[in-house]
Amino acid sequence: MDQNNGLSELGMAMAVLDEAGVETLVQKKLDKKIPPEQIVSELSAGITEVGERFRREEYFLSELIYSGEIFKNTMAKLQPLCKVSVDAKDKAVVVMGTVQGDIHDLGKNIVITLLECAGFSVVDIGVDAPAQRFVEAVVDSKASLVGMSMLLTTVFDAARDTVAAITQANLRDKVKIMIGGSVTNEDVRRDIGADYWGRDAAAAVDIAREVYP
Amino acid sequence: MNAKQRIAAVVALQKPDRVPVAPLLDHYAATYSGYTNAEIMMEGDKRIDAVIKTATELGPWDMTFLADTANAVLLQMGVPMPIKLPGRDLPVNVTHQFHETEFLTPDDYSLLERKGMLRFMMDVMGRLKPEWKGLPGFIHLTKTFWEYRRHVKMVNSRGMEVAVGFVIPGVLYEYFSFGRGITAMSADTFKRKDVIISAGKVWAKGMANLAIFASRFCGVPRVFIGMARSSADFISRRNFETLCLPDLEYIINRLVEAGITPILHCDTNWTKFFDLFLRFPAHKCILELDGRSDIFKAKEILGEHMCIMGDVPATLLAMGTRDEVLAYCRRLIETVGKGGGFILSSGCSLPNNAKVENVRALYEAVQEWGWYS
Repeated sequence: MDQNNGLSELGMAMAVLDEAGVETLVQKKLDKKIPPEQIVSELSAGITEVGERFRREEYFLSELIYSGEIFKNTMAKLQPLCKVSVDAKDKAVVVMGTVQGDIHDLGKNIVITLLECAGFSVVDIGVDAPAQRFVEAVVDSKASLVGMSMLLTTVFDAARDTVAAITQANLRDKVKIMIGGSVTNEDVRRDIGADYWGRDAAAAVDIAREVYP
Repeated sequence: MNAKQRIAAVVALQKPDRVPVAPLLDHYAATYSGYTNAEIMMEGDKRIDAVIKTATELGPWDMTFLADTANAVLLQMGVPMPIKLPGRDLPVNVTHQFHETEFLTPDDYSLLERKGMLRFMMDVMGRLKPEWKGLPGFIHLTKTFWEYRRHVKMVNSRGMEVAVGFVIPGVLYEYFSFGRGITAMSADTFKRKDVIISAGKVWAKGMANLAIFASRFCGVPRVFIGMARSSADFISRRNFETLCLPDLEYIINRLVEAGITPILHCDTNWTKFFDLFLRFPAHKCILELDGRSDIFKAKEILGEHMCIMGDVPATLLAMGTRDEVLAYCRRLIETVGKGGGFILSSGCSLPNNAKVENVRALYEAVQEWGWYS
């Protein structure tokens, strides 16, 4: 393995967002019959480095999102070749959705990219998500963390209803709830009855790491 | 001083008689006046009635927006993505919402270069609303300008200034960030730098020309420039300096040369880029912040360079008490407003569900603590 700051050549290509380089190196490795699982491991090391650079404020959301796209596109090619599939239920799972009445998906998607880059498995229930959809996703995925995104002050009631629905489903002691979005703050968190408020997308990763130490 | 003199004084960083107040009004006008959101988005007469009622009864404010961001025609012109509208796609009293998709394609950069800004925008509008393709789109645009001019006169006749005579959706990077979607635009940031730069110049030139024309036609010497997705939240300083700043500087300089005050409407967090704004003409611009940027840091860095406007947060207006709003306004007035160069406003739009007493508190705050003499 060619070492470069602890990363393989492929890992470094991933870390510096060299999309063409990633594609070429992956193909070369596949041609050499290198196990796909090893290739995924090198890519994962690269994407972890992207997350670290974001944390150090060397990278910004555009770098993060672009790296996520390179990673996803490459994984789409590798996943069918892997003997051991990556099952969301075996991993640390986070349910993410934008609450009912709000169709903004940008903030939610940024958080999802960041969580996935940090190695979490995310169940994306989309935008305008009713309370029951959050409940069903928690039950199905056995997630210990739910993220509710919102960009409108008018959906606080729906967020409160979602927390109530999770409680009524007897899940409240099994799941932590975080909220985020430009209209949220600690006061809103308390009012809604959530456990965490994420000031920005990076904070969501810190919260997930706290919930899944 | 009257409202016009007061605004002119703060832009020039002189001390007016008191801090002017100018909340960013759009959908809240419907809430306060009793119209539905659908009505004010689609019907100009109801929109201006709602604006005047809100701005006079909860003030009178020195300056008001004409609910530009609740005007369905202007929204569709300025934002190249499908919009869900109240009364059509959503309940009548819900705020409009954008549907983020990859609506514009990579080929649209070169199409813009070939067609020029105005023809390109009309082409995009035709794609979003086929019934506006070609001549009907120009007719809609023309009607909107005439209606806007009439509304400006109605507001001016009541002693208030209109905030902006035209809304620039931003530099090309901003416009395409909405049209391409943030995921595709993030990739373009690294894969299509050259075409963003070359098409950006065409966009900036055309947009400056249109804004100057519209501002003069409507009789409002201020132009709004949208800034959201090129902030330090989204892109690196180097990419901002390469892909956005030259076009932004060009547009601002053109407006200032034409005697127009640019209002830099900064959504998201711009704090890390504040120092770059020192290159814009001094005492000629308004920096409008939405509550995400550090307005107090803005005063430190830019307080002697440009007027600052903001930033009572939407959440405080919707959930806080009147006393909490008054306390925050007082802090803004006494720190950011120290020595002049400050306009008290909401952080971005007044939220739909803002409490009436909280909105009224902005005017009460400038009356209580905003006098300079």
